[in-house]
Amino acid sequence: MADSCGAVAATRGDCGSVSSVSSVSSVSMDTICALTELEDLEKVYQQLCEQEKDVETELDRLLGQEGSIHTKMLALQRMGPNLQLIGGDASQLSGMITFTCSLAENVSRKVRQLDLAKTRLYNVIQRADDILDLKFCTDGVQTALHNEDYEQAAAHIHRYLSLDQSVIELSRQGEESSAVDASLVLLQEAEQKLKVIVAEKLDEAVAAVDLAQVERFFKIFPLLGLHQQGLARFGQYLSTQNECDKQAQRIVDKFIQQRGYHNKFQVVQSSMMKSVPAERIEPRELDPVLAEVTLMNARAELYLRFLRRRMMADFEVGDAQSVTQDHQQNMEKLLKHCLLSTRMQELIGYYVPMEEYYMRESVNKAVAMDTYEKGQLTSSMVDDCFYIVKKCISRALSSSSIDCLCAMINHANSVLESDFREVLYNKLRQGFPATTLQDIQRGVSSAVSLMQSSLQQGKFNTLGIESTENAKAAFLVTLNNVEVCSDNISTLKRNLENDCSKLFSQGGNTGDQAKIQSCLSDLVNTSTKFKDLLQEGLTELNTTAVKPQVKPWISSFLVVSHNIEEEEFNDYEANDPWVQQLVVNLEQLMAEFKVALSPVIYDTLTSLMTSLVAIEMEKTVLKCSFSRLGGLQFDKELRSLVAYLTSVTTWTIRDKFARLTQMATVLNLERVSEILDYWGPNSGPLTWRLTPAEVRQVLALRVDFRSEDIKRLRL
Amino acid sequence: MYVYYQSGDLPVFVFRMSMEDYDYLFKIVLIGNAGVGKTCLVRRFTQGLFPPGQGATIGVDFMIKTVEIKGEKVKLQIWDTAGQERFRSITQSYYRSANALILTYDITCEDSFRCLPEWLREIEQYANNQVVTILVGNKIDLAEKREVLRQRAEDFAEAQSMLYLETSAKESDNVEKLFLDLACELIREAKQNKLDNNDTAPMPGEGKTINYLSCCSLN
Ligand SMILES: Nc1nc2c(ncn2[C@@H]2O[C@H](COP(=O)(O)OP(=O)(O)OP(=O)(O)O)[C@@H](O)[C@H]2O)c(=O)[nH]1
Ligand SMILES: [Mg+2]
Repeated sequence: MADSCGAVAATRGDCGSVSSVSSVSSVSMDTICALTELEDLEKVYQQLCEQEKDVETELDRLLGQEGSIHTKMLALQRMGPNLQLIGGDASQLSGMITFTCSLAENVSRKVRQLDLAKTRLYNVIQRADDILDLKFCTDGVQTALHNEDYEQAAAHIHRYLSLDQSVIELSRQGEESSAVDASLVLLQEAEQKLKVIVAEKLDEAVAAVDLAQVERFFKIFPLLGLHQQGLARFGQYLSTQNECDKQAQRIVDKFIQQRGYHNKFQVVQSSMMKSVPAERIEPRELDPVLAEVTLMNARAELYLRFLRRRMMADFEVGDAQSVTQDHQQNMEKLLKHCLLSTRMQELIGYYVPMEEYYMRESVNKAVAMDTYEKGQLTSSMVDDCFYIVKKCISRALSSSSIDCLCAMINHANSVLESDFREVLYNKLRQGFPATTLQDIQRGVSSAVSLMQSSLQQGKFNTLGIESTENAKAAFLVTLNNVEVCSDNISTLKRNLENDCSKLFSQGGNTGDQAKIQSCLSDLVNTSTKFKDLLQEGLTELNTTAVKPQVKPWISSFLVVSHNIEEEEFNDYEANDPWVQQLVVNLEQLMAEFKVALSPVIYDTLTSLMTSLVAIEMEKTVLKCSFSRLGGLQFDKELRSLVAYLTSVTTWTIRDKFARLTQMATVLNLERVSEILDYWGPNSGPLTWRLTPAEVRQVLALRVDFRSEDIKRLRL
Repeated sequence: MYVYYQSGDLPVFVFRMSMEDYDYLFKIVLIGNAGVGKTCLVRRFTQGLFPPGQGATIGVDFMIKTVEIKGEKVKLQIWDTAGQERFRSITQSYYRSANALILTYDITCEDSFRCLPEWLREIEQYANNQVVTILVGNKIDLAEKREVLRQRAEDFAEAQSMLYLETSAKESDNVEKLFLDLACELIREAKQNKLDNNDTAPMPGEGKTINYLSCCSLN
């Protein structure tokens, strides 16, 4: 803005100088002439002088420029002739250009004409070629078809198809139209014929799984312009699953027919439903067919697994990034619902009840044929039964079908838990027979019922010592059986777990694993139920065989006076009045069980017996009266008893006899008040199992302790 | 015993001496004609979704869900069986150890209702006699296509002394209720059983008793 102002000011300055010159002329002569006053004249004169000075300066300036203008003029003058030359040249050039242009136009017109002529010539040649080809193709196709040279025929058709359709159209309009038409009709006919033939041949080849032929005809399809159709048909060939399904269908049907599979199944089904079936199948007869079905399924699974792997690999190659869940799901669906799978599922569907039948029947048989050999702890049916169960589950496992395996584990569990356990339970329920003398003493119901049943069967006479011995042995053997069952079930479960983990290390999904695990864990419950049954049986044995004997032996303690003096005490020392006989009796009683029962069961029975002895002793002691020496005598007896019992069992006895030991301590006191040395704060490591009331009760058994003293005790 | 944990997608087996991670364990088996929506009910309950393009079940599927009822952890082992005939022999093997059966039909499919007596015969033959059975009419979101009136189904269920519930796996109607009600009923029966067992010492092998003692931690 400031600059532009300056520029404006400068311009004004210049103008000012010019206007001052013009203002000289504005002081006209008239004005001067009209001046009358000197003062005015002087003023004007002054003004004019100033103006003159100005003009002079201006003139000097202009004259100063003359040199440079002159130089410029000289230069211009020198350029003059040159310009004339240029003008001449330019007009000459223009003339030349015009000429060349018209010449070029002429040439190009001619070239265009030439090109047109050439194109037409080419077309003519092409059409002539095509027409010749057409004729050649027409003839060639006929011959090739006749010779069954389909490749050649297809090549001809391919040539025909690649001919320019418009040319062909044009040809038809030409002079030879009728001949061309005839060729075309022939060719089109041949084309259709060939398509039909090739399609048929390819289908035949696919059906015959003839790879060479499939490839041969597949290659012809693109020649006939049928790329898509050819690919579809070849794809069909490659997706052998259809074919496989067809084959599987045939095999399964054949299998069902030849092995009388359905028939066998129906017989099996009806024998399981009705108690007295019309027709029975020997389980053994099912062996081959069951083995075959599982083998077939295993093969089918192997094949499906192969397909799955291949498809997964293809997915990955095809599109490493997008092996989508969709793809996988579709594949799983395809594999699980294909005809092969469904037919195999159907076979397995029949297999499961037949295998179940096989298992139940065989187990029943093993039970029916149960034998026991003297000197053995268990009888034959346990081993037999587990052999069968293992065999059936292994067979199911060999099918590679998880659902089939799970179903058989379920059935095995059912057979063991219900059927087989029932058998053992019923045997135990018959009870352990007591000896006849004791029967009369005790009137035990089990023995009575045993006699009754024998009476009913008219077998009273044969019911001698021998049959009682047999019944005893049967009971003890059953106890051993039950224990072995419990162990076997645990082992079975462990082994199956191993087998299955081997199976899964080769692939398998976690869902299947969870399924098997859940079914297997039911076996643990079953094993526990056998343990419970063993416990029941032992309790029964203790109640019927041990308790009735031990009780009188213990109560005979009452007959041996413990209100004794020195002399009797010494007498007892020389001639043990009770405890030695008790130990002998117990030893004899248990000897029978020691040989007949498994070490674990025997030990448990001994433990039950010791508990019984302790409880009975306690009751008996409380009915006695003791002198000081009597208390000492009891202490000695108790020590021998505990020492003996400790020697015959692995269980700790001390705990069971803790109360009795404390009773002995109380009975051994010098004075009533001496109890305080062991009681309360003075008890030391001793934990009293007797209540204060019980301590008073025991103290009262001592004939020499005064009841006032006992009452006065502060416990 | 082995305890099955769900951690993410991978089931993990952990050896445990005690069963402190749940108070009760029940086996629930879903049965009924093919296509009535058993799998959808299970997936809705266990995964909270309605699976699109659900294919027919092959054999048996197994899922676990632990729920809490009145402060007690209840582990539900759910067996989803295939309705198609050819899997019958496999699915039947699961009846015996089931604590509860969910017998499902489709309210828009008269046929699936008419098959119920047949299913009841199966239950009679294979299940243990203490099993709790609940009848479920599924797909109530398709009300306009209903072919089995509610009253009719209710009458049928009552005559067979079954519980009855109508559900929609699609709209998540009554699905949660179905499983939770069932769990409550099972707990009630388990407690009753425990009382009964304490009253009269059970004889081994008598009847087909489900051993609740083996599946519940009682202390
Ligand atoms: N509208 C509607 N459709 C359902 C419902 N539940 C299931 N469906 C549909 O019913 C069809 C069968 O469902 P599934 O759950 O596979 O039936 P399923 O009983 O498991 O059949 P199987 O496994 O063959 O025994 C599927 O197309 C589901 O989308 C529902 O509550 N409402
Ligand atoms: Mg399903």
